[in-house]
Amino acid sequence: MKAKTDSAVIDVKNLVKNYGDIRAVAGISFQVNKGETFGMLGPNGAGKTTTAEIIEGLRTADSGSVSVLGMDIARVPSKIKQRIGIQLQAPSLLPLVSVQEILDLFSSFYQNSLPVNDIMEMLSLTDSRKVLVKNLSGGQQQRLSVAMALINDPDIAFLDEPTTGLDPQARRSLWAVIEDMRSRGKTIFLTTHYMEEAELLCDRVAIIDHGQIIAINSPRELINEYFKESAIQFELDPPPPEVVLQSFPGAKQVMVSGNEIIIYSDNIPATMSAILKYAEKAEITDKLKDLYVREATLEDVFLKLTGRKIRE
Amino acid sequence: MKAFSKLLLSDLKQFLRDKTALFFTIAFPIIFIFLFGWIFSGSGDINYSIGLVNNDSSPIGEGITQILGEIPIFEMQEGELEAKLDELKNGDVRAVIVIPAGLQESVAAGQTAEIKLYYDSTQTTSSQIILPVLRQAIDEVNRQLTQQLLLLQLSEESIQAHDLRDIDYLVPGILAMSVLYLGLFGSLTLVERREKKVLKRFGATPLPRSTMVFSQVTYRMILALVQTFIIIAIARLVFDVQMVGNWFILIGLVLLGTLAFVAIGYFAVARARTVEGAMPIIQIAQFPMLFLSGIFFPVDFLPDFMRPVIAAIPLTYLGDAFRQIMVEATPLHPLWLDATVIGVWLVVCMGLAIRLFR
Repeated sequence: MKAKTDSAVIDVKNLVKNYGDIRAVAGISFQVNKGETFGMLGPNGAGKTTTAEIIEGLRTADSGSVSVLGMDIARVPSKIKQRIGIQLQAPSLLPLVSVQEILDLFSSFYQNSLPVNDIMEMLSLTDSRKVLVKNLSGGQQQRLSVAMALINDPDIAFLDEPTTGLDPQARRSLWAVIEDMRSRGKTIFLTTHYMEEAELLCDRVAIIDHGQIIAINSPRELINEYFKESAIQFELDPPPPEVVLQSFPGAKQVMVSGNEIIIYSDNIPATMSAILKYAEKAEITDKLKDLYVREATLEDVFLKLTGRKIRE
Repeated sequence: MKAFSKLLLSDLKQFLRDKTALFFTIAFPIIFIFLFGWIFSGSGDINYSIGLVNNDSSPIGEGITQILGEIPIFEMQEGELEAKLDELKNGDVRAVIVIPAGLQESVAAGQTAEIKLYYDSTQTTSSQIILPVLRQAIDEVNRQLTQQLLLLQLSEESIQAHDLRDIDYLVPGILAMSVLYLGLFGSLTLVERREKKVLKRFGATPLPRSTMVFSQVTYRMILALVQTFIIIAIARLVFDVQMVGNWFILIGLVLLGTLAFVAIGYFAVARARTVEGAMPIIQIAQFPMLFLSGIFFPVDFLPDFMRPVIAAIPLTYLGDAFRQIMVEATPLHPLWLDATVIGVWLVVCMGLAIRLFR
C-alpha cells in the first residue's frame, strides 16, 4: 500500500449531502493518492455518483470539505477544472455534431489539451470521426464520453461507469487506456459495477452503501480480510433451508438467492460431501446443477458486507 | 475567445444540419409574408353592395340613382323593396335605399321628401362608412336641387410621403414577429441542454457559463439578420415594398430587439426544468404580445383598459420602430423612445434571468 500522507490529490472530510429527507451522503472521509487508481463500488443509490460529483465541483455539499490537487473545490473551481477530466454517466451530447467536432470543441475549453487525432486513436474513434453523435452506437458514445474526459490530459480522471455498455473487446481496450494513464502517473477515480474490473484496475477500492464507506482497502486485502474461506456455488431446486445449509460441516456463511446458493467454507471436502448427501437424501440429485468451487472475490466481499449483489 | 468562436461555429453547423429548425427559421417568415401578402393584396378596392329601390321614374329619381351609382365604393343593385330587405337581412347587401314615388311633385311643391335608408346597425362598417358617404351624396343632390352656392369646401391631402398599402404595414410586422420568435424560442435550446445534461457536461469543464450564453446570443443575432434580409428581399421582389430607411438603424434595431427577446425568453424559462414545462410559458408570453402589439393591424378598437398593457409590450415599440424606418409610417412614438423602451426591457429581464437561472 502507498503512503497515505501528503501525496493525497483528493482529500474528502466528513462529506454530507441531503436531498430533502434522504441522506445521500452520510459523512464520508477518504483520501486518494497521486498516481493511484481508486475505485468506488456500491449499489445504485448508494451515493457513489453524488460523492463523485461533489468532488468534481458539480454539486455542493451540505457540510464537510473537499480538497482537490491541494485546492478547495468550492473556491477555485475553474482552476481545478483545467486539471481534471470528468466523464459523466450516460451523457447525451449535442446530437448534430460529429465526433471530431465535439472533441475539437471541448479541447478549446482547456489551456492544455491533447491533439484530437491522438485521443481519437487512443479510444478507437478514428474511423467514426465524421459520424454525428446521434448516429453513434452505445459503445461508441461511451468511448466518446471517455475521450472527452481525457482530452485535457488530466492529472485526475473521474470515470463514472466507463465500461458500461461496452463489448468485452472494447472493455479490455479501455482497461489498457486506463493502465497506460496509470503508468504515466495519472490519478484515476473510478466508479463501477464490475467487480472484476475493480479487482483488475484498482489499487484501492471503497465500498459504499447507504451513503457511508463500509470498507476501504486494496482488493486483495479486502478479500483476505473478509474471507479465509473459499466459495462453493451451486443451484438446487428446491433450495435447502438456510439453517440446514449453515449446519453443514465447514460452512461459515451462506447466501441464498432463488435457487442459487453460495456456501463460504473453510473445509471444502466436508461441505461438498454434505451437499451431495443432502441432495441424495431428498432424492433431488438431478436438480443439483453448476456445482463448483472458487476463490472468494470482491463480489463476495460486497455480498457479505451489503447483503446483496451489486446489480440488484 | 477560442472557445467562444468554436461554440458559435458549432451552433451554426448544428443549425444547418437541423432540417426542422432550418425550415422554421427560413421558411416560416417567407410563408407568412406570402400568406398575408395574398390575403391583403386585393383589399385596396373596397366595395359595398347597396340595394336601391326606385319608386320614382321622374328625372329627379333618375338623377339620384345616377349620383349614387357614381360613388366608387358602392355597387348599386336595383330591385323591389321586399326582395332587397331580405338581402339586407342575409347580409348580401349592406344597406337599402328607397326613393319614394312622387318625388318630382314634392320638390316642385317645395315639400321635403323622405328618402328612406335601411341598414343593419350591428354592422360597424354600415354606420361608420356607408352612412356618412350616403349623407354626403344626399346633401349633394339637395344642393343641386336648391341651387345653393358652395362657399366652403374641404380639400383633402394625405401627409403621408407615400400611400401605405396593407402589405406595407405588414412587412415590418412580420419582421418584428420573426425577431420575437427568434428571441423567445431561443431560450428553449438552453432548457433542452439543461434537461439533457449538456449544460452539466459543459459545467464540468473550465468553460465560463457566460461564454456559452454569449455564443448562444450571438448565434441568435446572426439568425435574426439572415431572416431580416430574407424578409426584406421577398417584400421588395414580390410585393414591391421598398425599404426606404437607414439600413444601419434597422440592423441596430433588429439586434437590439433580438437581445431583448432573448433576455425575456431566458427570464421566462429561468426556472423551467423541461422543454415541456417551458413551452407553455413561452406561448403565454408570445400570444398576447403578437396580437396586442398592433404589428399586424392597428389596435385602436381595443377597449381603454387595455391601453396600459399595449403600452407596456415591447413588441409594440419594435413594430412601430420598424414601420417608421422601413416604410416611413406615421410614428406612434419617436424612434428614441421605441429604442429606450426595448432597452429597458432588455436590461431588466437580463438582470432577472441572471438572478433566477439555475
